[in-house]
Amino acid sequence: MKSGFLYFFFLISLTACSREEPLHHDQFLAFGTLIEISIYGLDDAAAQQASTAIEQDFQRMDRDWHAWHSSALTVLNTKLAQRQYISVDAALLDLIRRARELSLASDNLFDPALGQLFALWGFQRDEPAGPPPPPQKIQALLTALPIMANLHVTADSVQSDNPNLQLDFGAIAKGYAAQLAIEHLQRLGVHNAIVAAAGDLHVLGTHGTRPWHIGIRHPRAPGIIASVDLKSGESISTSGDYERYFSHQGKRYHHLLDPRTGYPAQGTAAVTVIANDGATADAAATALFIAGTHDWPRIAHAMSVDKVLLIDQHGTAHLSPAMAARLHFEIEPAPKRVVTAIP
Amino acid sequence: MSLTRADWIVLICLLAVQPWLYTHFWNGHSGVADHAVITALGQDTQELSLRHDQQINISGPLGDSLLEIQGGRLRFRDSPCHGKQCIHSGWLSHAGDFAACLPNRVSVTLVGAATRYDAVNY
Repeated sequence: MKSGFLYFFFLISLTACSREEPLHHDQFLAFGTLIEISIYGLDDAAAQQASTAIEQDFQRMDRDWHAWHSSALTVLNTKLAQRQYISVDAALLDLIRRARELSLASDNLFDPALGQLFALWGFQRDEPAGPPPPPQKIQALLTALPIMANLHVTADSVQSDNPNLQLDFGAIAKGYAAQLAIEHLQRLGVHNAIVAAAGDLHVLGTHGTRPWHIGIRHPRAPGIIASVDLKSGESISTSGDYERYFSHQGKRYHHLLDPRTGYPAQGTAAVTVIANDGATADAAATALFIAGTHDWPRIAHAMSVDKVLLIDQHGTAHLSPAMAARLHFEIEPAPKRVVTAIP
Repeated sequence: MSLTRADWIVLICLLAVQPWLYTHFWNGHSGVADHAVITALGQDTQELSLRHDQQINISGPLGDSLLEIQGGRLRFRDSPCHGKQCIHSGWLSHAGDFAACLPNRVSVTLVGAATRYDAVNY
């Protein structure tokens, strides 16, 4: 009896070491980056089928919303320059609406109407190479700065009253698409999953008995700076100056352009946002990067975001109280921390 | 039913070792990678052991990306892209480490016996 009890206890203790997990993992390339799908708790064939459906979704969105390869969006941009009313399919129209709302809330710091500026800097290329554009060209564009308020959206069409307005959804599409993918997985009977598009990921359910555990990349060193457990339905997005850049005459120029100056935003290394909506997390990560160390709480409030981590150029971590409560730093010593309440 | 002294010793030893077992094998805090998962556009995903030193060419739309495995680590040794960001990533050695040559559509993720994070936000 006694030995039976102990043997049972021993067996229970061994189950904690088991690595047999019903976890299906897939990856593919879309939106110019690696998309990773993890599905927990489904048999392999069903998970594979679900994952294939999501890959098709991503390839379609990439084809339709690409800002420089010929796509439905490049056709739309050509017509927008001519100030026509253009009918738009429901999927693209929903993305345009979300982008417009978030852009207005961000005080135009997230400005997807600035396709011309991204193109001018050479960031609308598969491989940005520089050199930086001439200052007078940047200035000319800023004097007639296209913003999303210039875009008029009806039930099925859009029209621009600024001929310079060119849409580029590079700072929202991945977060938006990751959430759409999770919603599609739910309809396919998946209850636990992660869809990760590099800096933007959305989670559903849990990894068995524990939450999904996410690492956040260190902006200045290989490896992870902090980790966080995500709740079902949460999105996390990170924007960093290391993602897309080119070097010219010894100086680095990254892709997070400040619409107020026309140049790469200074002072921030990376921003991570957790939100209940993929598009919001993605757009806010960009807007708060540009807002910088002083203005980020105001913009976070305006965008209804309460979980923010901003790493500045000196390595100091600026956090909102809600993010500070959730985040676990993984480096020793932990970085200097400044917690600021969002008004 | 009463437990003997030996029973208690077994029980205490089990309880003492359990947190270590849990963190080491379940959470995967060891973080050591033992193989690489390589994706290239339009090709089947390949898995390579990090135990055998070798160099391998992975072909992509721009040409061949040369990967080098040495002493349990992996790096992009050469790639036909312009920016060479993949090469600047340097040596990868921990589970979850990742490097990619996006222009050439080749990516590498290191995987360990126990991967520490379910996903990495970068």
